[in-house]
Amino acid sequence: MNASALKELLYKIADDQLILGHRNSEWTGFGPLLEEDIAFSSMAQDKIGQSYALYQILNQLGEQAPDTVAFMRNANQFHNCILVELPNGEYDFSLIRHFLFDTAEAIRFDMLSNSSYQPLAELARKIKGELRYHTLHANTWIKKLGTATEESITRLQRSLDTALPFALGIFEPSPHEDELMQQGIFEGEQTLQHRWKTRIEEVIRETSLALPDWASVKPVTGGRTGNHSEYLQPLLDEMAEVFRIDPATEW
Amino acid sequence: MYGGGNTFEGIKTDSLAHEDPEKLGAFEARIERGEKIEPADWMPQLYRKQLIRMIEQHAHSEIIGALPEGTWITRAPGFKRKLALMAKVQDEVGHAQLLYSAAETLGKSREQMITDLITGKSKYSNIFNYPAYTWADACFISWLVDAGAIVNQLANAKGSYGPYCRALERICAEESFHLKYGHHCVIYLAAGSQKQREMFQEAINRWWPPMMHFFGPADKISEHTAVLMKWKVKMATNDDMRNQFLDMYVPKILELGFTIPDPKLKKNTDTGRWDYTEPDWEEFKRVINGDGPCNKERLEVRRIAEERGQWVRDALKNAKTTYVTPLA
Amino acid sequence: MNSLDPRVKRLPETGKEGLVIPKAPLDQLGTYEVFVQPKEGKPFQHEGAVHAPDLELAFVLAKETLTRRFACSSLYVVDTRNVYVSPMTEGNQNAYDTLNITNDQGTPSSYEVFHLVKRGKQHVHAGTVEAGSPQGAFAEARKKFGDKPVYNIWIIPTAEIRFTTAEEKDLWLTLPEKKFRDASDYKGGDKLKEFLERTT
Repeated sequence: MNASALKELLYKIADDQLILGHRNSEWTGFGPLLEEDIAFSSMAQDKIGQSYALYQILNQLGEQAPDTVAFMRNANQFHNCILVELPNGEYDFSLIRHFLFDTAEAIRFDMLSNSSYQPLAELARKIKGELRYHTLHANTWIKKLGTATEESITRLQRSLDTALPFALGIFEPSPHEDELMQQGIFEGEQTLQHRWKTRIEEVIRETSLALPDWASVKPVTGGRTGNHSEYLQPLLDEMAEVFRIDPATEW
Repeated sequence: MYGGGNTFEGIKTDSLAHEDPEKLGAFEARIERGEKIEPADWMPQLYRKQLIRMIEQHAHSEIIGALPEGTWITRAPGFKRKLALMAKVQDEVGHAQLLYSAAETLGKSREQMITDLITGKSKYSNIFNYPAYTWADACFISWLVDAGAIVNQLANAKGSYGPYCRALERICAEESFHLKYGHHCVIYLAAGSQKQREMFQEAINRWWPPMMHFFGPADKISEHTAVLMKWKVKMATNDDMRNQFLDMYVPKILELGFTIPDPKLKKNTDTGRWDYTEPDWEEFKRVINGDGPCNKERLEVRRIAEERGQWVRDALKNAKTTYVTPLA
Repeated sequence: MNSLDPRVKRLPETGKEGLVIPKAPLDQLGTYEVFVQPKEGKPFQHEGAVHAPDLELAFVLAKETLTRRFACSSLYVVDTRNVYVSPMTEGNQNAYDTLNITNDQGTPSSYEVFHLVKRGKQHVHAGTVEAGSPQGAFAEARKKFGDKPVYNIWIIPTAEIRFTTAEEKDLWLTLPEKKFRDASDYKGGDKLKEFLERTT
């Protein structure tokens, strides 16, 4: 097993979850309805918890402790896609991002539940229920707001148009795609993207929203290789502000 | 979480004069038997009014109480603290939801309650009008303000109104980790670096006066609330709860090597009660009436949150929606 | 807005500072009653209510609002308006005795029956009956479950309930593992002891 291929896979998934979980926690206490505030916060915790589990697996593979890895790396060392680091915008953007990302995440982990790398397969099986909730939540909201008022439809459409190029960045292929496939670790970003597009189309079809021709959407990539937008470093600086007061101490 | 400092209106006992004496007698007998009053039961108007006010203030305290600790939610140091603080602040929102539901059973709508909060008409626990300057401030709140709230909540959980009691039982269960988490954070600050110890000592120095205000004005200057205690709406006096808090937590603060900024603070072995510098009740009144360091910000944040979410709620409303009082 | 909270600093300018728009009726939508099964094999019990626009969102929101913390194997929701409530009794009076048993007309359908067995507690599921109307369902419930006195009865048409599907049971799978919300995960005793030994 090529350790660096596996580690790269684990890092990118964990980094996606950490950054998105962190972004979504910015809504806690500020949500549009108390019950939804609570639900969105739960999913943010799930994401952070999942990233923590993955960093722990990485730690067992020889990487540094999860706290160090999460709180001491700088932007150019992160492998999340750019989609997850973007600011929250209004609730329409956050919901659209949640829908686009979590649909992919659920399929990714469904694929990983058959991974030849046992810890990953186990984790995938364990969090299936959490991801089921995330997609149930996203789909229900998109279908509801995507058919409700002129304003909700317009907002969602605008956010969808903005987010789609970034969403395609989730599937930026790794230099180790072939290896991961050959080793049975992961079936690859291409397969994932294909299944994702089908799922997205299914849900959007039940709304008044429109998907552009996929060929016309230009993917925004770079996140997987540490080339990020201007938003990531400030996010990391904020996240690590207290930790970095004294990284050597215990909090 | 919530503190005393309830602003009960002066109880005019003759406002019971128009109530059916037989029904009132049966109502009071039920309470004396230790039975709960449920939404469908007959109750005097004054009981309903004071309970709505109390539960509503508690609910507002939770949603506003999410804000000082929420100040540090994106900056919690390390995974364990990050997950815990996210869950804790979420719980505050959750508790607001539970408490608004309990108040709704008495006939006030959530729309009206939220509007009254943001306009400044309804009050909430004063302590949340103070700023959380550092991570250590957040830890002080998580440990000691929560501790105070739990003293209050445990007392009220034995009150007479069923839905409020059930909400409080659930809240107490969910909060059991809040208190332990808070104490855990402070132990680590105490046992940590010089910088960490200093950070927490400075936090205590800032938060001690508001903490002494937390349980509300001294008994000797409080409104006469005998009927509320008879009806098990108010379950313990402000000074009783304050003393209980001091009994439980002063030793724990001192054992960590911190000092408390009140030279007079001492357990009086003769009276069995705590001696302390009398808190400034004029400041308490000023802050609770809007003139505290963070009042304006707290309400602005809620106003903005509600307005930003308006388009969402408008999109969710549909022609078939009508409102009936939820069940307890 | 200037604030110690970076999230608050990032809040967009919205409306006019201090100018509150009072909430219109139904801004917070209607309510749905939530019933939870604490453990496989145990009866469902009433847990509370959520504000939601429809049955499906009520289910989604109830799951986190009321079952995010403690062990749970299943949940269902129903519109508050679809819960038929008997009068409340006390002492030795049976709530089933407060009803006039009427002849049941109409096509039979299924109803869920909930009992309040002790004042101060929550309603618990007693069972299911077939009847032509909610009133008929009360009558059937009395025949089937009315042997012991209860203080209050709820009747809910089964068709109006959004249940958890078999597939969805895994929604609560990882609940017991979220130790970061357990008091037991915060044992500061050893650290405290070590600190006290070090400094005294």
